[in-house]
Amino acid sequence: MTGVVEAAGISKWYGEVLGLNGFSASFGPGITGLVGPNGAGKSTLFKLLIGQLHPDQGTLRLLGENPWNNVPVKRRLGYCPEHNTLYGWLTGQQFVEALLRLDGMPRSQAEKAAEDALKLVGLSSAAQRPTRTYSRGMRQRAKLAQALAHRPEILILDEPLSGADPLARVQILRTISEFAKAGGHVLMSTHVLYEIERVTNNIVLINNGKAIASGDIRSIRALIDEHPHAVRLETPQPRQLAQALARMDHIVSLEIPEDEALLIRTRKPDAFYRELPAIVADTRLEVRSLESPDDSLDAVFRYLVG
Amino acid sequence: MSISLPTYTRREMPLLGRRHRVRAIITTGLRREFKRPAVLVVIGIGVGVTIITSIVVVLFAGVFLQGQPLDLSFFFTPASNGAILFFVTLMASVVGSALIADDLQSMALTLYLSRPITEGDYLAAKAAILAPMISMIAVFPLVLTPLVAALLGSFSWTIALEAIGLSFLIGSLFTAFYTAATLALSSLTRRKSYAAAGVFALTFGLTIPAEILAGPPFNNPAVLYASPWENYLAVARAAFGATGAPIDWRWSLAILLAATAIAALATYLRMKFVEVVSG
Repeated sequence: MTGVVEAAGISKWYGEVLGLNGFSASFGPGITGLVGPNGAGKSTLFKLLIGQLHPDQGTLRLLGENPWNNVPVKRRLGYCPEHNTLYGWLTGQQFVEALLRLDGMPRSQAEKAAEDALKLVGLSSAAQRPTRTYSRGMRQRAKLAQALAHRPEILILDEPLSGADPLARVQILRTISEFAKAGGHVLMSTHVLYEIERVTNNIVLINNGKAIASGDIRSIRALIDEHPHAVRLETPQPRQLAQALARMDHIVSLEIPEDEALLIRTRKPDAFYRELPAIVADTRLEVRSLESPDDSLDAVFRYLVG
Repeated sequence: MSISLPTYTRREMPLLGRRHRVRAIITTGLRREFKRPAVLVVIGIGVGVTIITSIVVVLFAGVFLQGQPLDLSFFFTPASNGAILFFVTLMASVVGSALIADDLQSMALTLYLSRPITEGDYLAAKAAILAPMISMIAVFPLVLTPLVAALLGSFSWTIALEAIGLSFLIGSLFTAFYTAATLALSSLTRRKSYAAAGVFALTFGLTIPAEILAGPPFNNPAVLYASPWENYLAVARAAFGATGAPIDWRWSLAILLAATAIAALATYLRMKFVEVVSG
């Protein structure tokens, strides 16, 4: 086991509910995105990684160590929980400072480090306000600030962009990228795929407690070729175009979802895109637009989770 | 328009030891408690009432306790003040019941325990928040009473100093019991109201039936061992040399100490194996 995180056959039950189901994955250095719908098991995996849950089966290693009740490992990680766990009566500055002092940072240094962290996430101007007055995006930034203020080796961020406004998203993603560039590792969960694409190509797709794919986005996209690839054409003559395209042996299905649209599913998208111009030219049919729902990572996810 | 953002650089930080980390939890907890009006009211009224009644007893000792020798046994009277039981219970409910339950409910525990602190550190800090609050009612008035009595010249300093020492010990015993029991109850639930109800049930649910069953027509004093308050009274009575104990103070002391230790151990084990499950 050499990855930053190594999970082998991890299962976790909450009574009769299965949180993780034989989850196996290896997360390397840099930024890794954990992508899955709500209830997929992302938060459960993170709780296991920060040592607050104990796996019922399997082995888990974070930075080479078992994280369960492992205090030394906690010094090396920064955790940003999904849920609102801010003490509302504390100001942003006090909140970050208090958690820094839990790391054993002297008061004077904690004060400065908290200021730096809040500045990093763009909360300097609100640092002296009670956190109960913060918007959701500000809370997310405050939680990110406390996670990275003590300079951890690895950041574990549970839905850090949830509820964040556009500027906050820019700041959060920029901060995460800078952290990784400085040599830190980041595990970041989201159920919105395009958010991950902005900061990393390394993703792990999780659904129903299982890792269904992992690796570079491009290699995951290669999996698409094993599944029908959808292309939607806008045309005033969908039936005629469907007849022409039906000659392609890699076409799986042809569907007319609307009066002037044609939805094609093919097992060989490269061949389809290569042959389409010639067919359109030969039949003199009008094609107004072409779009593939597969162009975003969302489509990859939809394919893989069925 | 361009946005200029600061960049991240890593740096090593010297880190302080466990004691400082525990202190950080205590500071955060106390900062919270002293901002809660309910806590301030309970502290104000609780400390005020227990002190005033104790001092009144001292001032009018000669009137109220005619024929009773003004020796060490006199100090059993302020120690057995029913206001102590009521306000200790109230303080434990208002402050103590929320200490762990709120962290479980808000999932602040996830942040605490993602830091390099142990469950033992966390519990020690929580106990260090609650115990001083309870001792303001269970210890402070008892210690103050002999001091005032000596200053007024009602008692010799020898008796007063002995009473101060004994008051401190028995008040601390009562404080330790309520601290451990309250934290145990608070760790069992995410709802502080349940824990608070548990504290009241522990106090009055055991004391009132025990006192009823100990008196006529049942006349079964052994059931008084079930009441923390009656056990405390038995120990206090023995400590101050007062007579008329319905139960053996040795058993009472053993029960209080054992219950305190068991509650503390149970809370530690609960925290050690608690899994913070989010929604």
